Amino acid sequence: MPAAYGEKDPGGPAMSMVLNARRLDDVVILDLSGRITMGEGTLILRERIQKLLGAGDRKFLLNLADVDYIDSSGLGELVSSFTTVRNHGGQLKLLNLTKRVQDLLQITKLLTVFEVFNNEAEALKTMK
Amino acid sequence: MDLSPGTDITPPSLSAGVISTQLESIIYIGVRLAWSLTLKNPSCYLGSMTFKGPRSFELTIPSRLEEMQAVHELVGKAVKEYKLNDELAHWIELTISESMINAIQHGNQADPAKEATLRISSNGDSIEIIVEDQGCGFKLDKVADPTDTANLLKPSGRGILIIRSFMDEVDLTEREGGGCRLRMVKKIRGAPQ
Repeated sequence: MPAAYGEKDPGGPAMSMVLNARRLDDVVILDLSGRITMGEGTLILRERIQKLLGAGDRKFLLNLADVDYIDSSGLGELVSSFTTVRNHGGQLKLLNLTKRVQDLLQITKLLTVFEVFNNEAEALKTMK
Repeated sequence: MDLSPGTDITPPSLSAGVISTQLESIIYIGVRLAWSLTLKNPSCYLGSMTFKGPRSFELTIPSRLEEMQAVHELVGKAVKEYKLNDELAHWIELTISESMINAIQHGNQADPAKEATLRISSNGDSIEIIVEDQGCGFKLDKVADPTDTANLLKPSGRGILIIRSFMDEVDLTEREGGGCRLRMVKKIRGAPQ
């Protein structure tokens, strides 16, 4: 969860991103939660994808269901991940965008770059 | 009472039962407490956070990204004070974060000797945010359009677009003596809940 507002936890420390990887056949699903922001958040994603690419993985599905704060650096990291994977002959797609992340991708026209899905099974079908 | 740094502060006499003297004693205790906190936490001193009143907040930090936590904390206090809904609060935090990172990285070239200042105020109808740096790293009309096909896959350059998309007014002016002043206004009355 991101830093909360109002009565939840005003001014509390912002939690950085947590990333968990799982595998379905040859697709690596990365479940991200927290904040994808400049610094630790972007670094975690970059290093994990590079490591997986090094191990031979080429198909990535980023589940952003629990990410509702992403800044321009976070967007930049998604783009970098996309181009890095593509340059290795692979594919990277997005799953379960929150409205805030969807709005940002719309504003920046990155919805024209990424394939986005709201259903994991449907996303996996396109990655066979 | 001279309260300037380096001044040897001695407690006023407490023996006289005069109200003004008691007041001076209270001020003295407050000053000593603040002085003590400053010495224990130099970062707190450098990034002096000031609560200026019920509708205004100010923060000055050295140009280090590590100081951004203080920015997020101040924004948390401000959005609570202004009773913003979660949606508005989210976008206010994002745009302030983008503008302060711009000030630190592009304006001040991440030189910790240079400071970035944030001011947040509200008149109840709108929120005004001012970010000042000491470098002036960009001009609004010179920023490349990140939505241009040629720029879509670039990893950076989207901060100003995000700020412009959310804020109702955005203007950048050069400050006398160097640096830039980014002023942003967001209407909050009648904003969707």
